[in-house]
Amino acid sequence: MRTERRGIGPRNPEEEKLDNTVRRLFAATGRLTRLALATTALATLATGALAEELSGTITVWSWTAPADGLEAAVAGFNKLHPGVTVKVEDVGNPAIWDKITAGMAAGGAGLADVLNIGIDYIGNYIETFPTGLVNLSEVGANDLAAQFPSGMWASGSSADGAVYGIPYEVNTSGFFYRKDLFDQAGVDINSIATWDDLLEAGKKIKEATGAPLISMDKAATVADSAGLWQLLTNLQGSFYFNAAGEITMNGPAGLRSLEWIKKANDAGVVADIPGGWDNFMLQIKGQTNVAVIPAASWAAGVFENEAPDMAGKWGLRLPPSVEPGGLTAAISGGTYLSVAGTSPNKQAAWEFVKYAMGTLEGQQATYEGGGMFPGFKPMLESDGFVKKSAYFDAEVNKFFIDELGQNTPTVNYTTDYARALKAYTDAQTQVLLSGADPKTVLDEAAALVAGQTGRAIAN
Amino acid sequence: MTSKLQPATRRRWRGSAPRLTPYLFLLPVLVLFAGFKVYPYLYAAWLSLTKIIKGQTTFVGLGNYGRLAADPIFYKALTNTLIILVTQVPLMLGLALLLAVAFNSALLKFRAFWRTAYFVPIVMGLVAYGILFSTLLNSHHGLVNFLLESVGLPRVPWLADPVWAKVSIIIALTWHYTGNSAVIYLAQLQSIPGELYEAAEIDGATAWQRFWHITLPGLRPAITLTVVLSTIGTLQLFDEPYVLTNGGPNNATLTIGMYLYQNGFKYFDFGYASAIGYVLTGIIGVIALIQFRFLREKQA
Repeated sequence: MRTERRGIGPRNPEEEKLDNTVRRLFAATGRLTRLALATTALATLATGALAEELSGTITVWSWTAPADGLEAAVAGFNKLHPGVTVKVEDVGNPAIWDKITAGMAAGGAGLADVLNIGIDYIGNYIETFPTGLVNLSEVGANDLAAQFPSGMWASGSSADGAVYGIPYEVNTSGFFYRKDLFDQAGVDINSIATWDDLLEAGKKIKEATGAPLISMDKAATVADSAGLWQLLTNLQGSFYFNAAGEITMNGPAGLRSLEWIKKANDAGVVADIPGGWDNFMLQIKGQTNVAVIPAASWAAGVFENEAPDMAGKWGLRLPPSVEPGGLTAAISGGTYLSVAGTSPNKQAAWEFVKYAMGTLEGQQATYEGGGMFPGFKPMLESDGFVKKSAYFDAEVNKFFIDELGQNTPTVNYTTDYARALKAYTDAQTQVLLSGADPKTVLDEAAALVAGQTGRAIAN
Repeated sequence: MTSKLQPATRRRWRGSAPRLTPYLFLLPVLVLFAGFKVYPYLYAAWLSLTKIIKGQTTFVGLGNYGRLAADPIFYKALTNTLIILVTQVPLMLGLALLLAVAFNSALLKFRAFWRTAYFVPIVMGLVAYGILFSTLLNSHHGLVNFLLESVGLPRVPWLADPVWAKVSIIIALTWHYTGNSAVIYLAQLQSIPGELYEAAEIDGATAWQRFWHITLPGLRPAITLTVVLSTIGTLQLFDEPYVLTNGGPNNATLTIGMYLYQNGFKYFDFGYASAIGYVLTGIIGVIALIQFRFLREKQA
């Protein structure tokens, strides 16, 4: 983390604009921390004043580790609001999406008060069920906007800027590599600047150690298997859709990504390993060798917890760029906390979200309990957040903070992400299993999505 | 004296209450049927004529049906479903028939054991069943490929190849439902009089002739029932592709039921999903009608 500090002085109009980009914010770390602490203190005071009025029970729906994180924030919340009982339920992922969707479709019946929602779902919920989630702008959520990465914040808001979700997890791309396999093959990880360099290295590693460079679920029958393509496409500043909502999956960036995947597959360095948690575990535990795993930032904690024997064998760095000198950062998903429109206890639900996400104390408790990478800037800048990990022999969180500081584009998931994801996955399967031409299948996929959604294909 | 009173009492009961009583007893069922069947049917019919545009449910007439008629993925799902139907249903019912005859045979030892063993899969829960088959059919460390390799055969990409994935679904379906049909056949076999077999034997009929001329005609009502039920079940196929292949690879095992689910619960397009549901209902209705007519004519 940068520790640059500027002198104390009155705020000028230029400073007011600091909110806009993460990069600028990092240049003004000290001032912002003070600002954030002041806001936090104010928020705490405000919630303190309300404490006596709030009572009742609120339910929170989340899953596994994120649920553990929220559970850990309950004790601190109850000091402020002793009358509120918070029940955090681990309803499982992906079951949570069907549960929320079914509840929304039934006019909000049976939903919990606080919902943990993925970035890939929230846009669609906001647009499809306009009263399904509480417009948090009406209860002052906009005050928190400056304290979160702007792109992530925007994805949890509607087109007209009304806020429906406060960022919980903010995942960037982690690039994990097996130091031992790279050493065995005599490849210096620092010599790899681009994905083309990586492919050449992958061939050497395969020859020297027999281990594949990377794994994919080629048939995509377990999971969606589009993570690598999304990463490569994000690194070129593109995605399935552009900011105007037009289809860009078959544009130059998307095509280049799938061509890289085909090249790697044809070179025999892509292992066909079905998706799912168990197979992911086999790879990180080294029971199935792969040289690199591009996984989101949340995975760092998983490596340390699930594969302690592999300490020292895994390294972590920023992903290579696609173009020489291009982006080495990508936002790879994230989640939000939202309040259900039918919640009988909206105020208490919002106070809990505000405490867990919008205060340093709540954030610290949540992070300790669940380990999800936060987007709350005062948390990222707080003492001890960046510390050296003996496991990776690196300051793990520094990589992810660096990525948030790069000028990554706002990823526009739109309401049709699920359709585009499915169409892409099927196109990729044809390339990987039957050697289909990337351009042909991507054009077909784009045409299919255009037909299903009425969206235009960008030129 | 009492004999004088009785008719009057009886008449009074007959006059009012008896007409209401049966309906009162039926009421719970009728309420449940109306609430959980009729209402969803009607609501889905209305939904199929709407589309959510900017958060507003908007009437679009037959728009969803028009879109469906031009949707390549729907035709793919329809083709997959029909392929599974025409291969799996005859295979399963043929096997069930053989099993039922075997279960009924006096030559079979431990009959109760065999009957139970073949019937047990039907009570197995979807999740356990899914995990069992995906583990058995895992191409890297599944038992099936291990056995194939141990006898010198190549590994089969059971769930990862478009053709083999369909085969896997058919195998799983057959394992799950054969016992059910066999039990229905077994019950019907009890209604075939033993004298028919005795008479045929005395007349010198072979075992095959007895099966063809006595057993099969005797089973015809049960065969009609199982053909129609299995056809409807297969047309609505959802569980097996959902747990085993997620409809993949590249939609090779996408069934109409899976596509309906994806549109409703993955894409939140409930209008389109309802339209798919109604088209599926239409297809089932037509096929069931044809089957009834065909099988009845044969019976006559």
